Parts: sequence; structure tokens; C-alpha cells
Amino acid sequence: MKTSPLLAGFLLSAALVSNGAPELKESDYYKITTFDTPKETALEVSSMEFLPNNKIALGTRRGEIWIASNATDPSASNISYQNFASGQHEIMGLAYKDGWLYETNRYEVARLRDENGDGRASIFQTVADGWGVSGDYHEYAWGSPFDKNGDLWVLLCLTGSFTSEAEFRGWALRVKPDGTIVPTCSGIRSPGGIGFDADGEVYYTDNQGPWRGADNLQHLVPGSFQGHPGGNKWYSKAPNMGPRPPDPNTPSRLETERARIPQFVPPACYLVYVSIGNSASFIACDLSGGKFGPFQKQLFIGDQSQSNVCRVFLEEVNGVKQGVVFPFLKGFKSGLIAGKLDKSTGQLFVGGSDRGWGARGGKPYCFERVDWSGTVPFEVQEMRAKPDGFELTFTEPLNRESAEDLTHYKMREFTYIYRAEYGSPEVDSKIPKITAITVAPDNKSVRLQIDSLFKGDIHEIHVDGVRSADGRPVLHPVGYYTLNEIPAK
Amino acid sequence: MFRATLFYVAALASAAAIAAETETVDLKTLRAQMRYSVTEINARPGESLKIVFENTDDMPHNFVLCKAGTDVVALANKQLEKPDEAVKRNFIPDDPAVILHSKLLGPHEKEVLSFTTPETPGDYPYVCTMPGHAMSMNGRLRVQSLGKGLTNLHFKLYNGSWDKLPDFSKLPIHREGDVADNLVQLKFDDYKNDYGVVFDGKIASEKDGDYTFVLASDDGSRLSIDGHKIIDHDGIHPSTDIREGKVHLKPGEHDFHLEYFQKGGEAELYAGWKGPGFSITPLSAWHHPNWAGHQEQKRDEHSGMPLIVEKEPIIYRNFISGAGTNRAIAVGYPGDVNIAWNADSMNLGLIWRGAFMDAARHWTDRGGGFQPPLGYDVLRPAGESNPPFANLATPDAEWPKTEHNQKADRYKWRGYRLDAKHYPTFFYDWGAVKVSDRYDVEGNAVTGSGKLVRTLKLDGEIPAGAYFRAASGTLHTQGSGFLVDGGKFNIDGRDFENAFVVVAEGAAAAGHNLVVPVRPEIKITYGWPMDHTAHLSAH
Repeated sequence: MKTSPLLAGFLLSAALVSNGAPELKESDYYKITTFDTPKETALEVSSMEFLPNNKIALGTRRGEIWIASNATDPSASNISYQNFASGQHEIMGLAYKDGWLYETNRYEVARLRDENGDGRASIFQTVADGWGVSGDYHEYAWGSPFDKNGDLWVLLCLTGSFTSEAEFRGWALRVKPDGTIVPTCSGIRSPGGIGFDADGEVYYTDNQGPWRGADNLQHLVPGSFQGHPGGNKWYSKAPNMGPRPPDPNTPSRLETERARIPQFVPPACYLVYVSIGNSASFIACDLSGGKFGPFQKQLFIGDQSQSNVCRVFLEEVNGVKQGVVFPFLKGFKSGLIAGKLDKSTGQLFVGGSDRGWGARGGKPYCFERVDWSGTVPFEVQEMRAKPDGFELTFTEPLNRESAEDLTHYKMREFTYIYRAEYGSPEVDSKIPKITAITVAPDNKSVRLQIDSLFKGDIHEIHVDGVRSADGRPVLHPVGYYTLNEIPAK
Repeated sequence: MFRATLFYVAALASAAAIAAETETVDLKTLRAQMRYSVTEINARPGESLKIVFENTDDMPHNFVLCKAGTDVVALANKQLEKPDEAVKRNFIPDDPAVILHSKLLGPHEKEVLSFTTPETPGDYPYVCTMPGHAMSMNGRLRVQSLGKGLTNLHFKLYNGSWDKLPDFSKLPIHREGDVADNLVQLKFDDYKNDYGVVFDGKIASEKDGDYTFVLASDDGSRLSIDGHKIIDHDGIHPSTDIREGKVHLKPGEHDFHLEYFQKGGEAELYAGWKGPGFSITPLSAWHHPNWAGHQEQKRDEHSGMPLIVEKEPIIYRNFISGAGTNRAIAVGYPGDVNIAWNADSMNLGLIWRGAFMDAARHWTDRGGGFQPPLGYDVLRPAGESNPPFANLATPDAEWPKTEHNQKADRYKWRGYRLDAKHYPTFFYDWGAVKVSDRYDVEGNAVTGSGKLVRTLKLDGEIPAGAYFRAASGTLHTQGSGFLVDGGKFNIDGRDFENAFVVVAEGAAAAGHNLVVPVRPEIKITYGWPMDHTAHLSAH
């Protein structure tokens, strides 16, 4: 392996600042355990749900459901599997309630139950199937767990990237407990996962493509338009959603079109293309009360291409969700699709497959677990927008001298073109000037004042030079804040 | 490192060297895939060939070799015009195009076919002529003239580490000897890296003309004929590039001189030639994978992903060609009967026998597209997409149709339940009536006379004038039931006769519709007009 002069220089300076202490890696804080999977099948995990008695249900792209026992056990070799169901068409959602396992497959939400105790489902009862299926492979149907109102959400991918050839493709639907379908959000393109924040608000990840400059995390506000007009013709079948909004202009900026289209909810966070991921997938919220480390109530988001997980901190400004994404953990064995964080044990379970799109990791499919080692990584814990800049909170006390040094911070602002064509380069790039730095008396946070804040821009920040009180550099010294709104105070 | 697989591609290469010996080809049928294990057999004209044909599938198959240019699918299908006679012949076509054929082999039977290949070079197709098999179950015997091989081949092995071919004449010989099979090869077990080999032998041209030598190697090599350098492929490189060199030769023996060295990594050496009247002929123990037309094309057992039905039914929900819906549920039952249920029209979409489904299309890559049934004799008793029940003014009135990919009016899909043996019962609502639809198989449709038994149960007040349609087509009474000609149809290029036998209590012909007045329980039996019992018991 060759080391570039640049990288060599960086390693050298890092080593100097940390006074020769060994540099800690991701794996010193978070350990990935890879499970063996059933020999009989390709366990291409595409959905996941926790069941009573410490079991985990795994839905797969091959349409099977396997129930894993002892996956929380410290020793991975104690895992065992039971085939619960097979023959379904791509199970992209699982949810458990009152003894029933609800699956979202290509055609419907169905609930399954083992009636005779042999460990295999015997009843497959259709709950809701009120959407169209054109036969195009791209029309995935993603299902959520039960939300705080007891509803299930179904996200219907467009027919391809551009159009909606069957009813409600490109929409989010809610399925009420009685099976009634409520069209809830338009503007969906190609979802990769759905999940809730600590307050039960619903989010999904959407993938780069037409009207999507990069992957992003979207807040599913009932009644909203999520940005891709391909499915807007179905407003005619959704009277509860009001009149069809005007179509966005192309090429434009999202911020400009958001001002024209009242229902438009902007991305809560751009998952910056390549730097964070290429194919965003699951959303898992840490509700473990500290068992997964110092990122309580934050969101962990998978990537099917880079086989990694990023971390998102969100806040609400002027009624709109927005926030920052940081790299978190890489090195999973296949492209991640499904993931859930067990709030009782603080373990993150993930699984996926590289089939059809390719992924890092080297295995065609995987089921893995992440355990926190108990050592707190030195990271930017939170990043909040302020009227004149940002506030960064760290997981550990700062070395005050390193945190007060202006040269230890670098910033850039940019956005994406909002357009009908596929993807976008980074545009409107600006280098803001950091005008003042204030370190809080407790040495845990830093206020940065900058000379320009732009609504709709991604504010990229690098904190390579900042050190903890014990001399550690920041494990992931880059973050990307999506600024939809500027707070008044 | 040697690539182990290359050692096994020996049939053609050794044919070049030892033409007198009989070649043996192992030809199998692949289980539940409707394919042969070998789809191309290479041979020389007038060669003595032995085919060991083994039926490893669960249904009967044969092997019929035909004259070059024969349309084997048409040949196989033609005999279905007179099926009774075809059964008596065990489905061997009565046609002058047939050169050679096996018996009809039952599951796990074997037959050895020994014969002399045709004198005329060409592609001679072979096929299984069992009904419905020919589309996918075929291959070709490729008869090509080959040149002569090397004679008096001698090798000298040298030790050393080079980046280019050294002057071997100035180096000490480490080991030398004759090559018994006269094929260029690198099987020197004592050395893997840092060695060189020089081959010297004779090659005979029969005609005055231009000859082309081909060479590929990892690492460098150089070929000379009669002392003239023909191909120089020196240096460190992989064997992916094939180098060619032309030379004009008079009839007679010529000196063959080949130098080669291996530094590290892969070690490979391929040599061959072609000339007037013969196609590329290997002179090495291995074929280069990119020598066109000279791979023995074998199908991997795992190239398909057949879903094999064993003790309990298999359910497969995905996009299924010909089922009349994008919401199909395929079920493969023990007894070699399969169905595709249409969860839009709430009706039976397809019935077929033999193998169930190949999941490879949906379980590899992104999984797009529609997959047809894997088996044969596909039937569509209920039309392409029609609801099962209707309220008709008269029994022969037009039956309502469900638009493709649209849910049937007044029907609601409720799901299915599996019994202890995993047989599904489908549930739906028809207006206020709750309906269940269940299927069982009697017998075996491949090895005997298997039938599909369908049981519908209705719970609720049945409207007046309600009919269930068991089938549509041209109806003829046959015994206690009906022989139905449902009209030919085609799925992905395969034609199906769609002729079947229906037995249902109370069923009556009403124009093209075979209708049953709706009652709380309706039982229908579907079968094929011709089963395999006759020819299987014949041997």
C-alpha cells in the first residue's frame, strides 16, 4: 500500500498532538459481530422486527421470514434460526402487534400468525392492498413499524425513477388498524427505509435521482409533498390531501420551489453523496438510554452501497426539521438494507444484500450486530443552528486551547440543483468566514459565529485540529448540516 | 498457480492427439430445469463417439439427434398433431431428419449411445421430443475438421528468474524428456515459479497454404516454425491476450520450437493452429477460454434456481408470465401439478405439470421481469383474467372480464391459510359472500394420471342466477365430464394447446362456457387429455 504524502502528513501531525498515544479506531468503540446465516437460503435481509422472548424476525428479498433466537447473546455462535414463512414477494417491512407479525410485501400488508405452534406461519391475512403494481421491478413497497397512533406506513417507490405507472406509486400511505388506507404524503421517489425519531415522528430515506441531488432524510409530515412530482397525478384519488400542488420548475433550487409549493417539506438532512453514502437505507433511533453510547435519541442510517452507518442529529427550527449528519461506522460485510436498535440491550442489528446494485464488504448478504464497547468516542455529539452560526457540542470535555484555535475549523457551504434530471453536482459553493469562537465554561461546547448563513445550503464543517482534554482527535471530524431555517435566537 | 479447471477440458484436445480412441461424453438431464447438462458436443468427422445419457430428472426424457439445419422445436411439436400415434412411438418423431435417438428414459435411467459422427462438418442439433420440452431442452453436436497434432514433442526445463525470455541455449538444462501425449503443457510439479521451458517437436501440414498459429501465455512465450520466429509474446503478462502469426507451409513435416518462461503468479500456456480445411486445433493440453467455438459449453447445475417440490407444496409469489395478473401466487404441489392463482380476478390463472418454477430471474441481480412456468402442458381453464362468479340473465351470456392488472369488481382479497401439510386455501369476498378456494392433487401428472381437484366453499347468501364458470372453450362431453379445447395460447414464445378434461357435478355447457349453478360447495377436477401412463408402462 502506498501512503499519499498528504495522508502521511496528517497521520504525523495527529500522532504528534496525541503525544504518541495510539490512535483509536471505530472498532475500539463499536464492535461489529457477523452472524452465520441459515445454510438453506440466502439471507438477504430487507426488513427486521423485534419479537417477544428476545427474538428477531428477519424478512428477506427472497420473500422469506426467519426468526433468529439468541441474537443478543454475547457469543454469536449461540444464534439459531427458524423459518417462519416463505414464498412472499420481497418483504420490505415487518411490524409486530398482539401476536401477529405484519409484513409489507410487493402487493399488500398482511398479518401472519402461527396457529398450531409448529413455528411456521399458517395464516396470511391481507390487511390492506389498495395500491397498484405495474410489474416493474423497481416498485418496492416499504413498510414501517406501528407508529404512535397504531398505524402502519407504506412507502411506494415510483415505477422507475421518473414516473408513476400504477396507483399511488410515489406516495406514502397510512394503513389504519381496520385496514383503511389514507394517502398521506406525495413526492416520494425511491425509499430505502422508514423509521421514527424519539418523539415518534416519521422519517424515510430517499435516494439520489431525478429531483434528488443526493440521498436524504425526509420528514413525513401528513399532507406534505416530498419533492418528486412523478406521482402527483394521484391527487385525484386522494381528496383528503386537497388540491394537487403546482409542479416544481426545473432546473431550480429546492429553496426557491419550496417558496412556491406550500406543501413542500424540505429534506431534514442531506446524506451528502459519496462523503456519507450512495444508497441510504434503514433509520434506527437510539432509545436505549445510553446503552449504545453517547448519542441518545439520535438516528442511525444505513447505506446499501458503502455498507456503512451514519449518524444524524436533528432539531426543529421554525416548525421544520433539520440537522447534521456525521460518519459513524463502516466495515459491514454487505450492503445494508434493514436495521433496528434494541432499546433494551442497546445493540444495533443490521442486515442486507449487495444483489443488483453492488456494495462494499465482499459478501452477497449479511446479518450483523453492533455493540458499544463502553468507551465514549470523542465526537461532535450535536450541532445546532444559531442566528449567526452554529453550536457544536462534544461527547467529551475539550482541550480548550485546541478548541479556541480558529485554524482548527474549516467550513464550506453548497447545495444541489433541484431538477428533473438524475442527481446533481454540488453547486453554489461558498467558503464562509468564521468570525468568532466561544468555548463554553464547561468545555463541552463551542459557538462558531460565521459571516454568512444560507437557507437551503448544506453547511460542511471540519474540526480536524480540535482535541479532547485527554488529547484525542475527533474520531469523525466532519459533519454536514442542512439549514432549512435560520433560528431567530 | 495452475487453474485446476483447465485440466478437465480434455475431450477435444486429446481427440487431436489420439484420434483412434473412442471419445466419451457424459450427457445428463438437469433436475427440474428442462435442460441438458451439455449443450454443445465437439467432435471430428467420422469419429467414434460414445454418449452416456443419464436421466437425472424426475420426469421422462429422450435424446434425438437430427440432421444439420433441422428445426427441432417444430419437429417435436409436429407430432402433437397425432398424439395417439406419438405415444405409441414413445414420442420419437417418425421423420427422416432423425439420425439417432435414445429410448424414452424414465427418471434415473441410463443409456449408452455409440456411433460414428457424420462425415460432413456442421451443427447437428439434438433435442428431447417429449411434449413441451424442446424449447429449452436442446443442444448441438458440432462436427468440425481438425488439424493434426504435434509429434515427437520433447521438453527442456530451465531454472531462473527472468523478466524476458533468456537465451536458453546458453543455460544449463535442469531436466528434459519426451512429452507422452504430445501436448504442450506446464505440469511440472517440482516448480511453480522461476522456470523456463523449451518445447521442440514436429508438425505436419497436408496442403500447401497459409497456416495461422495462436499463442497465449502467462508469462512470456515465443514460437518458431522451421527456425523462423512466427509469434513473439515476450515479457510479464497475463494470458488474456491471444497472439496470432501466419506462415506459408509446404506439405510435409516442420520444426516446432516454443519457448516459455514463468516468473511468479499464474502460469499458463496455450498453443494451437488452423489452416486450409481445418479449424482451430489445440496443440496444448488446455483450451484458451476465448478460442471461439471451442469451449465445451456446459451448464452448471446451479445456473437455474429451480424450486423443487418435495413433501409439501411450495408457494412462490412473484411476477409470473401468463398468469393474467401482476399479483400471482404460484403453488407447486406434490404430484407434479402446479398452479398460478390470480389475486386480482380471484380465480385460477394457470395449471401446468412437471417442474414448478425457476427462481433465478427473481433471485439474481435486481430480480426484474416475468418468469414463465418451468414445466409443460400449461392450461388456462378460466381464460386470461376473468372472475369466477357471475350473475347471468341466461347461462350462455357473455362472461365478465377483469381488465389485466385490475382488481375484479365486488371482490376483495383476504389472503390464505396453510393447513398442517402446508396446502393453501385462498380466501376472498364476493359481495357479501365469503369464498374459500382450495386445491389438491390426485395421483402424479408426470408419472401417471395426475389431476387437480379444486374445492370452492361459499358462506353467505348466494344471489339468484349466480353461476360459477369451470372452463371456457369448445366443449365436448367425455364420459362424466367434458373435453375442453380452450384455444391455443402462448407464454414467452412457448405455445400451449390448452386442451383439458373437466369434471364437475352439475356442470352444463352454455355456449363456450362450462357453468355450474352456484351452491355452497363446488368441486371441479381438471386433468390432461393425454397422460404419460401408456408409454411409461410400455418399458
